[in-house]
Amino acid sequence: MLLASRRVFLAVASILLALPAWAANDPAASLIETTSAQVIDLIKTTQGAQREAGIRRVLEQSFDLSYMGQQALGKYWASTSSDQQARYLKAAVGAEAHAYAERFGQYGGQTLTLGKVTTRPNGVTVVDSRLNQSNGQPIKIEWEVRDVGGAPRITDVKIEGVSMVITRRTDFTSYIQNNGGKVEALIQELESRATR
Amino acid sequence: MVENLVGSMMARLRGSAVAMMAAAVLMGGCASTDTGAAEVWDPIETPNRFIFAINRTIDMIAIRPLAVTYRDWMPERGQKGIRNVLDNLGEPVTAINEVVQGSPGRAATTIGRFLVNSTIGIAGIFDVASAMGMPKSKEDMGKTIGYYAGTEPENGGFYIVLPVIGPSNARDGVGLAIDASMDPFSLVTFSINRNVGWIASGARYGATAIDMRSRTLFALDDLEKNSVDYYAALKSAYTQQRADLIRAKREKTDGKAEIDRRDNLALMR
Repeated sequence: MLLASRRVFLAVASILLALPAWAANDPAASLIETTSAQVIDLIKTTQGAQREAGIRRVLEQSFDLSYMGQQALGKYWASTSSDQQARYLKAAVGAEAHAYAERFGQYGGQTLTLGKVTTRPNGVTVVDSRLNQSNGQPIKIEWEVRDVGGAPRITDVKIEGVSMVITRRTDFTSYIQNNGGKVEALIQELESRATR
Repeated sequence: MVENLVGSMMARLRGSAVAMMAAAVLMGGCASTDTGAAEVWDPIETPNRFIFAINRTIDMIAIRPLAVTYRDWMPERGQKGIRNVLDNLGEPVTAINEVVQGSPGRAATTIGRFLVNSTIGIAGIFDVASAMGMPKSKEDMGKTIGYYAGTEPENGGFYIVLPVIGPSNARDGVGLAIDASMDPFSLVTFSINRNVGWIASGARYGATAIDMRSRTLFALDDLEKNSVDYYAALKSAYTQQRADLIRAKREKTDGKAEIDRRDNLALMR
């Protein structure tokens, strides 16, 4: 029963995720396509801690998390010891995985339609997409994809123009500034949130 | 509180020329400190955080509970109808802004929408105009100023947290005051009688607040829970979202600028 419904779902998902022919061969677009298919599959088949672990694996595979984490720390990254950097990345990635698992828990059959793929001279590819909701306006999502060691990786997600990385950076740097410019304070806060 | 706000906006009707000049000074003053999205210019952070704390308290005890009740108990069709009525009341201001933005064609469509929905759509409850091929649009003076300002749209002057209304900046705050001062709905109701004006505007802005809050519950809860400094995260998200809307306006006329800015903005340090 579960298997059958899953198969039907995947068939539907593959139709809904069908790309315009001109985008189909683009590695960046197909990365977004496979990632969203993996996530939807996880939501349909897993729950709780298992789902969180699964989403974490997808994040690690498809996103360049260390690059994103480095960007989110802004000017403080360079002045942080490599030991602290490792702890910070671990805590920040854990927090993001948890947040994503929770967000996707609200999933109610939305579909992702991929749109224009723009590659810029500096090597960054932006994949436009729309998250179609059953009620209300579709949500605009832009994926920023970079080539990391020969493989495409997502380096930022912009929802209605709001960049995840830039928002995090304002958030993190402001917290550090208000705690005497110490990155350690942020790391401890993130670590203590993980245990909560 | 909403009434106070409307009152102060009405007062500015007479001084909108002053507001325009103030806007020019504020926008000009910040052109040299073009900060981009990552670091929003926030010279009055301490008072801003103070107002932000008060707003969160008001939200917690009054607005949020009403918004949750509204979302969970009002049938979806009712919510849609109310939203359509509120949107319809906003059409004249959108049309004025579209004229100022240099799109008279789009303004004509908006006026057409207003006429059709106010009559056939029964005071705007039903959006018949969309079905007739007149799509909805929403413009405000903050966007109009941003459209003409030569600066990066992330730069809207200093960041300010307005009482009850919340995140704003010099550009959008001035825009809000100008929009309110030229709003035909307020002008008409206040010309009948002061009390009629207060009650009508109070009902309208009260309903707008609940409607808007009910639609931002998920996003704001998420942002609050997953940030270590909610004030800073919201400041950044607000600035980016407004910038995105303004950029979309500019792009329609200039495709190359969009590519340039994406390269400039692409994770600048």
